Amino acid sequence: MSVTPLSTTCSRPMCSRPMCEPAGREMDAALAEGPSSLPYVRVAAVGGIAILLVLALADAVLAQGAFGLGPHATAPAEATGGIAGWLLQKQASYYREFTGMIRAAKRDGSAAYGLLGLSFAYGIFHAAGPGHGKAVITSYLFANGESWRRGVILSFASALLQSSVAIAIVVIAAVLLGSTARVMGNAVRVIEIASYMMVVAIGLRLAWVKTRAFLAARQAWRPNTAVAAFALAGAAGHVHTIGEFDSHARHGNHDHHHADGSAHEHACAGHGLPGGQASCGHSHGPEPDDLIGPGGWRRGLTAILAAGLRPCSGAIIILVFSLAQGLLWTGMAATFAMGIGTAITVAALATFAVGARSLAGGLAGSRQVGGLLALRGVELMAALAIVLVGLLLLTGYMASERMFLV
Amino acid sequence: MQPATNANRGGGTGGRARLSISHKWLLAALASACVLATAAEDARAHPHVWVRMKSELVFAADGAVTGIRHAWTFDDMYSAFAVQGLSHKKEGEFSRAELASLAEVNVTSLKEYGYFTRARLNGKNLPISDPVDYWLGYGDSVLTLHFTLPFKASAAVKHLSFEIYDPTWFVDFSFPDTEPVALSGAPQGCRLDVQRPTGLTAAQGQQLSEAFFNSLAATSNFGAKFANKVLVQCP
Repeated sequence: MSVTPLSTTCSRPMCSRPMCEPAGREMDAALAEGPSSLPYVRVAAVGGIAILLVLALADAVLAQGAFGLGPHATAPAEATGGIAGWLLQKQASYYREFTGMIRAAKRDGSAAYGLLGLSFAYGIFHAAGPGHGKAVITSYLFANGESWRRGVILSFASALLQSSVAIAIVVIAAVLLGSTARVMGNAVRVIEIASYMMVVAIGLRLAWVKTRAFLAARQAWRPNTAVAAFALAGAAGHVHTIGEFDSHARHGNHDHHHADGSAHEHACAGHGLPGGQASCGHSHGPEPDDLIGPGGWRRGLTAILAAGLRPCSGAIIILVFSLAQGLLWTGMAATFAMGIGTAITVAALATFAVGARSLAGGLAGSRQVGGLLALRGVELMAALAIVLVGLLLLTGYMASERMFLV
Repeated sequence: MQPATNANRGGGTGGRARLSISHKWLLAALASACVLATAAEDARAHPHVWVRMKSELVFAADGAVTGIRHAWTFDDMYSAFAVQGLSHKKEGEFSRAELASLAEVNVTSLKEYGYFTRARLNGKNLPISDPVDYWLGYGDSVLTLHFTLPFKASAAVKHLSFEIYDPTWFVDFSFPDTEPVALSGAPQGCRLDVQRPTGLTAAQGQQLSEAFFNSLAATSNFGAKFANKVLVQCP
């Protein structure tokens, strides 16, 4: 998969127009029009179709009673319109079937496969419903202009972490300690607060970075205040001297980690060229390198934790029910199947976020300074959306899920 | 690295004619809006708890209504979860005393949600006091929570209505087919009408119609569509 990261949008604002001209055109071709941005769109389209197929298949298989379930009179027309309601209804009916499936697995071991299939389907549908995880991941990917592959890895890592946390809580609290449901509920609440705080922290950090980037772009938009932009950037504790840009001296310790190994588009191909030309190659003027550079995976880990730390209450209830039936191992396998289903949906959303960002990035590249300003503005909005989601979750105005009555 | 870059650039002009810049802007704006909408989407969970309820309106000797007596039976999965770790003498059995602390927790937690019960008497909201006479019973692997909600003011009934639903639809409430509501000590001639949710619940294994969901505005109180409404008219 040749996916060219778009985090390298030309930072022409940082240099004077005439010097940037040739590189600017190159960027237009490469980012806005060229196939280097099209793979994102293609990936998004293929991913979207794939997820629809999986949904349709899962539904068809379950509807045929292949797992020993009753027939579901699901008309295909239901998929059109009122999607949110349809998803909710699907989740509810799948969730309702867990009891019977787990009981069936107790009588007949082979029914466990049906349970795994049901869990997988439930995971796909459940992740398409509520949850702060996907909100965090999509906004994070969008704001940061991350690569598709990284988006998928983040999605899978957070979903599997979520499954693992649910299993850990039930094994430690219920099996080892013999704790009550209330203790488990409290454990979830503590984890929940920690993860929501992480959401706010990630959002604030991104918003901080993106505000500076936005202000820098805005200053550059008004060339007569360009000097002020530098002063501002300096005041914000991120000093870039002109010389730094010119010489690209930092390039040595400035390796970008593009996991996909694809080309890194440097607009001004003149790294070795003298003078200001080299300065247009990088957009990192206002953006700390660590977001996409070496420190990036550490930050990615925070996103994984923020998105995946809070276990799904359904998983815990199902695990405890499995435990009561003496089928904890089956319940654990089902939880992981659920996690894989969740990961697929979140990865599809992540693909969409990366594709949207790619499109916006390409346009920004083609639109000179105004486009960059718009892009920075949208990035900032995505960052603020993370903060908002985190605050709403923390203050209880937005309930992720409840641990009812315990 | 470098060859790939060149390859990309080489084909770079190929897609130039496909979409005009303004169309792309529109597309990008739409896509961005979708991502932001996803991020800011309100959380809406499917039910995790199913409750089969029987309710009884309690009347005083003078014919004034004094409260509602609920008996809520939880689904087996939630029941198994709720009794996890509770000490009990006999395998598979829980006495009322062994469940007393859980019942206490239940009614305390329910307060935050107004006991999911909203009542109106003669056209005015009827405030509810904290529950009395509450206990949990266990049988057939399911828990039943019994509790009485006293009304803050008792008055003779002309029109009384009460609804039971969870606005967030985390809990799915449904009445059984037979005798969902009883009138205890009601004056002669009172009529009872039970309205079930318009959408019908997944608990009943019925599909929610798409038209129903399409009719929901974004700001609508989703759970209210699943409200179980009881109307009482007395002479």
